Amino acid sequence: MSTTAEGRLYVARTVHDAVAALSDRGPEGAPLAGATWIMRTPLRQEQHKPFYVAISKIEALRQLTVHDREISIGACVTHAELASQLSSVPDCRALALAASNAANPAIRQVATIGGNLCAANFAAADLVPALLCLDAEIELEASGGTERIAVSRFLDIRASLKPGHFVRRVIVARAPRHSVHVRLPLRKAGDYPVAILSLAVTLDASGIVNSAKVAVGSVELTARRWQELEADLINRPLDPQHAADKAESHCGAFQARDGVEAPGWYRVKVLPSLVRKAVRALREQA
Amino acid sequence: MRVQTANPMSLHLKINGEDRVSISDPLTPLVDVLRDEFFLTGAKVVCREGFCGACIVLLDGRPVVSCLMPAGMAADCDVRTVESLASGDGLSPLQRALEQHDVVQCGMCFPGILMSLTSYFEHAHSPNREDMKAALVGNICRCTGYERILDAALSLVQSFEAP
Repeated sequence: MSTTAEGRLYVARTVHDAVAALSDRGPEGAPLAGATWIMRTPLRQEQHKPFYVAISKIEALRQLTVHDREISIGACVTHAELASQLSSVPDCRALALAASNAANPAIRQVATIGGNLCAANFAAADLVPALLCLDAEIELEASGGTERIAVSRFLDIRASLKPGHFVRRVIVARAPRHSVHVRLPLRKAGDYPVAILSLAVTLDASGIVNSAKVAVGSVELTARRWQELEADLINRPLDPQHAADKAESHCGAFQARDGVEAPGWYRVKVLPSLVRKAVRALREQA
Repeated sequence: MRVQTANPMSLHLKINGEDRVSISDPLTPLVDVLRDEFFLTGAKVVCREGFCGACIVLLDGRPVVSCLMPAGMAADCDVRTVESLASGDGLSPLQRALEQHDVVQCGMCFPGILMSLTSYFEHAHSPNREDMKAALVGNICRCTGYERILDAALSLVQSFEAP
């Protein structure tokens, strides 16, 4: 056997079952969803946890439900399922685009939204900036009950979650928004994007931007909102060149990371172009 | 609590329609179990990162990279490898089309390409070149050239459509 993981695996069938198994194992255990990130642990020169609790067979975590006021997405909904089920939900377009373009088809069949959010060292996670621009919330499950927090807050605490806690679902509030997700990979597939940009706006009847949420992924270690740019997009029509110029003036806000696929300066350099592309796409959408 | 351990005889898999029992740790990549334990060497180990597609198998009819699939997660699923495509000495229509177009060269990527295309043909309502390209973006070929692979696969569609 050329590779043998040393850990053990427990396949939970209910949320209660998973909470109990994770609580039993304490800091030695961790949830496992699609496994595409955790299976590469040795390649990152990291150690596997001694024990994993597989949660992707839990039916309750595989449900995606579109309600009038919110969309509820179970933590183990895959990228492929997201792309398919959100394709006809206009206010969630950024998330559908992110899910349908991430990685490659075989990865999208198993990689989950919960896994994408929990991979703390994965700077190029596509779904994270999309969820940030949609103001999504996370419902955390633990033995003491559930807790609902903003995605931005979750990103701050995800590496230090207490044992036994895991993401149960993601909630996106419905709104009359337009959104888009653009990314710059070096190939069509099979590599991580140099930079990712998600943008959501609401417009008034005359096409003036009432609110704007911009999120950037893959540039810094963790995706985040670009609030300096958001302020410059509000109270005017969607104008790709104006947005790109403003993006250029705010690029100093980033502490870009170097990586094998691109140096940090290049990740920042391409942002104005991504902003122009995103605003152009939004204008066509609107 | 049902805990799967690394004990021998603990992992039950259904591979190419046959019930198999694996003695591997359930976190072992499925591709290693297929190749090293069951000698199904069609799926290839190349990148181990889910990038190249050489290890693609079908899990309940959908293509997955078996290098990143813990064998324990494949229990209760229907695993199909490239070995399942031919029956006896007869190649599948897709295999035959690729052979007739002289597409196969080194063969490292082909098991994965065959499984991606097999899944594509099983699910596509109206097979076409652009959708096939999208289905193959996770299959890297370094010698043949993708256009000839698509030509061969499309010939299959055309042969179905022919009166």
